[in-house]
Amino acid sequence: MDSVIKIRDLHFSYGGPKILENIEIDIQRNEFIGMVGPNGSGKTTLLKIIMGVLTPDAGTVEVLGKPPFQSVKEIGYMPQLTPFLRDFPINVEETVLMGRLGKTSSIGFFNKADKRAAEKAMDDVEILDLRKRAIGSLSGGQLQRVLIARALTCEPEIMILDEPTANVDMKVEKDIFDMLKQLNEKITIIVVTHDIGFISQYIHRVACINRTLICHPTSELTGETIENMYGSHVHMVHHHHEDEKNHG
Amino acid sequence: MGSFFDAVSSQAFMQNAIIGGILASVACGVVGSYVVVKRIGYLAGGIAHSVLGGMGIAYYLGRPPIEGALVAALVFAVILGWVSLRMQQQEDTVIGALWAGGMAVGILFISQTPGYNVDLMSFLFGNILMISSDDLFWIASLDILILLIVFLFYKQFLAVSFDEEFARLRGIPVERFYLLFLTLVALTVVILIQIVGLILVIALLTLPAAVSSQYVRSLNLMMLLATFLGILFTTGGLALSYQPDLPPGPTIILVAGTFYLVSLILNRFWKRA
Repeated sequence: MDSVIKIRDLHFSYGGPKILENIEIDIQRNEFIGMVGPNGSGKTTLLKIIMGVLTPDAGTVEVLGKPPFQSVKEIGYMPQLTPFLRDFPINVEETVLMGRLGKTSSIGFFNKADKRAAEKAMDDVEILDLRKRAIGSLSGGQLQRVLIARALTCEPEIMILDEPTANVDMKVEKDIFDMLKQLNEKITIIVVTHDIGFISQYIHRVACINRTLICHPTSELTGETIENMYGSHVHMVHHHHEDEKNHG
Repeated sequence: MGSFFDAVSSQAFMQNAIIGGILASVACGVVGSYVVVKRIGYLAGGIAHSVLGGMGIAYYLGRPPIEGALVAALVFAVILGWVSLRMQQQEDTVIGALWAGGMAVGILFISQTPGYNVDLMSFLFGNILMISSDDLFWIASLDILILLIVFLFYKQFLAVSFDEEFARLRGIPVERFYLLFLTLVALTVVILIQIVGLILVIALLTLPAAVSSQYVRSLNLMMLLATFLGILFTTGGLALSYQPDLPPGPTIILVAGTFYLVSLILNRFWKRA
């Protein structure tokens, strides 16, 4: 099997209590992974380690066979919240072009190849008609698509999306996941979400994180009970940790 | 107003003043736009004011104050940049301390310099009417340097000012570009000190860009419009101050400030209507 992300015996803390403990996972090429866990469970921390922003205390992380900081340029990232100001004077196309950084020349302006890649990404997420619109004038769903397009323009091998549908309605959520499903034919996708019941029809495996990580293939689960099972399982993991804390 | 145009056509110092205003507007249009969108006006103010320390020391040593300003602006840009990156908790307090400390050093050195201290006022409030051809040459050179750096690293500056986290994940050395950007602010401050003095620098650095941001939705256009507004404010201020013999620096700032407030109010009404 061709694994694009390989994590072995990973431990991490911000100097205090352990945030992540004994994490092991292999993510295969073209997998679609859902990552779930309560707030503060270490999901975002794990993503930051995979992207080389944080360094683990112990353990090994390989992304595309290299240490994370070397392969981060091959990862398309869509953040959970928009960390920028909505009134920043920039349009959709310029925002999407940002994804070309690290892939284009380091001096001067964006070139024709960058513009083509941005155009393709905007086309993939169906926002080509919005290309000249100021980002401040977009709806929540349109902005999510812009951020996905920005993540796509680097022609990534892996895409990491941190709650891509946090601020949109059900209809837009379905549209976005249908789109991700198509992209998944070529790209490995990791998506952080709270809506496990909904995305179970899209993903191959679900990674439950709460300081430790437990992975479940969706094929082990039957359709109708999926929502309940995931719900109760997350609950179980949670209690498991509560117990450990009490013992410790 | 007629005598202003007479002076412009016949007097070299007036021509220098106009050209100085135009050249300074280029720097403040480009760099000021970044300062406004990145919201680091306070940091830029810290760089501008602490520069008095360098000017005072240069003055004491008998060197041209502008040399001291250049050195101090660059040194403080790096120090303040480091502070804002590493001490985010106390950023504003530390900037405030360096801001006042730099000025205090400058005033002490100036007070210990024997002789007539008339120059203090022109450090603080500038004197666009005293700009020489040599000064114009220096301002033009700094303009070219600033434009060159902005053209070369256009993408990185845009990325770092728009979304730092994303820029970092695309492999951009965010901190290095932030510090490089602050050195551009420092160079701009040194240019503007000669036009309006260091107390008023921050207004000329931010007001044209702030007005411009109310009307355009792209950073390039914002820089272009801010440059034109800068030229309008400096030339307009010069013209208004000429006849009643007012100090041009504060007049320029009042023109800019009035324009900004009127524009802000009109915009509010416009959007509500």
